[in-house]
Amino acid sequence: MGEMKLFFGPNHPGLHGNFSVHMYVEGDTVIRARPVPGFLHRGFEKLMERRLWYQNLALIPRICVQEPDINEACYAMAIEKIAKVDVPERAQWIRMIVLELARIANHMWAFGGVGGPTGMYTSMYWSVSDRDKVLDLFEELSGARIYHMYIIPGGVRKDFPPHFEEKLVKLLDYIEGRLPEYETFVLKNRILHTRLRGIATIDTETCLKIGVTGIGLRATGVPYDIRKIAPYLFYDRVEFDVPTATEGDALARISLKPQEIKQSIRIIRQALEYMPSGPVNTKIADGNGLRIRVPKGMAYARVESTRGEYGYLVVSDGEEKPYRVAVRGASYPQGLYGVEHLMPGTRIDDVPIWLDTMGVCAPEIDR
Amino acid sequence: MMNSTNDTNDTNASLELQRVFEELKSMFVGCEVSQIEPTQFKLIVPSDKMLGMLTYLKGIGYSHLSIITCVDWIDEKKFELVYILFNWSNGVTFLVSTFIDRDRPIFYTVKDMWPTAEYYERDVHEFFGVEFEGNENCKKPLMLELWDDLPPLRKDFDPLQYSKEHFPDRTYEKDPIHEARIIRGDIEGDIEGGEIDG
Repeated sequence: MGEMKLFFGPNHPGLHGNFSVHMYVEGDTVIRARPVPGFLHRGFEKLMERRLWYQNLALIPRICVQEPDINEACYAMAIEKIAKVDVPERAQWIRMIVLELARIANHMWAFGGVGGPTGMYTSMYWSVSDRDKVLDLFEELSGARIYHMYIIPGGVRKDFPPHFEEKLVKLLDYIEGRLPEYETFVLKNRILHTRLRGIATIDTETCLKIGVTGIGLRATGVPYDIRKIAPYLFYDRVEFDVPTATEGDALARISLKPQEIKQSIRIIRQALEYMPSGPVNTKIADGNGLRIRVPKGMAYARVESTRGEYGYLVVSDGEEKPYRVAVRGASYPQGLYGVEHLMPGTRIDDVPIWLDTMGVCAPEIDR
Repeated sequence: MMNSTNDTNDTNASLELQRVFEELKSMFVGCEVSQIEPTQFKLIVPSDKMLGMLTYLKGIGYSHLSIITCVDWIDEKKFELVYILFNWSNGVTFLVSTFIDRDRPIFYTVKDMWPTAEYYERDVHEFFGVEFEGNENCKKPLMLELWDDLPPLRKDFDPLQYSKEHFPDRTYEKDPIHEARIIRGDIEGDIEGGEIDG
């Protein structure tokens, strides 16, 4: 049978964001694949050089739509490293709570994401509705559901609103109660096992060679988590486990998500217990109001996002605007190199599963 | 007890790092080390020693390449190439950087050491115009389609001017807002005779 070229995306229900794969297929098997990014390129990095340090806060969450808080955290942490500012303790704990809540919300979203290409729409309805409960809390905390702009250089914008902690505990209880249902309905589901087992398999050596981090790497049996290996915020003061699997396939990656949600809940409960009262932000540098100047320097800040290492390299020349900001998207290795070299061999109808469970996120590749 | 163990580990780790820095300075003359935070260091290396340095660091455990990126120091007429390396066993990050001539931006590929570098290099080439010898796909367009101007992340590229040239302001025969006001009854006037406000 002859070779045929098919386009996957840039608009496809199985993709998060606009990203295209040119697939060369024989029968229903992809024999070559070429990633084509750039459909979302909005020049974030260039625009950041033309905006004030604080103005960028409105811009950066938009780089990763599904998990915006990691952008704010990396940006703020990199600036604090350059300015050598100590952030108040309470603010650090609040940041951890926000990042873990974001992780829970994003893992929930991923259940919906895998529900689409496998035809399990119920899991999509369930998880999106449960994720909305997390967004309700974010709305109460920051005034916004998706783009919170809550973590700022020097701390967080403001302290918890009244009774927020009780609501948070209630939410954690609720999600904990829902997890067994997800496990029964989604993870023990025969459809999911049939469709995901052995699909999009990747081994440890390849992950380390091409730079795949996060759940992709942990699903191959390596317990590498930046929160453990290079702890930021106060991750070294809380106890949590790093769940791993050995199969390295799509099913292993999805099965790790509820376990990570459990660990996130554990972290948030400890954070609520340990966090002191006190101020939640500090002055980052000299300057008038929001027109701050960050001292000269360069620093890289990384966090463990739901898809792996996410980082910002920030360069300052001492002026009111960043000199250069470079974003390291978590899905850059698997989204570009991985699609070209690892996707061949996949069946056409498994391509959305491949892209979804590998965590390919177009906006952070384009940035 | 736990603290004292941690302290011992920290001391061992910092001794180990000191040893690495001493070796680096003796092997790669001209290498400068500066500390950004206790687990993050910037290494500035002369460009001819960069590949040797990267190979050495990869060999001693700094094997995870987070990103390759570039900074345009237009006043100094230099491009700074930054390779961010991470060691999974001790959590230490090195920002390995080198300066190359801005007028002749050519460097060497590291895609044989890190396959994903092929794409990072394409990215840097597209946005800064740096060529990476040995990367045959370097000049293929990645994000920008049919780009016909300076590489856009260079400091001398003016996005405002570019967008004015390529996407000129629309001109309208009639002012739609003025028309809408008349239709809504906010102001009196004749839709046919409406003039553009400016």
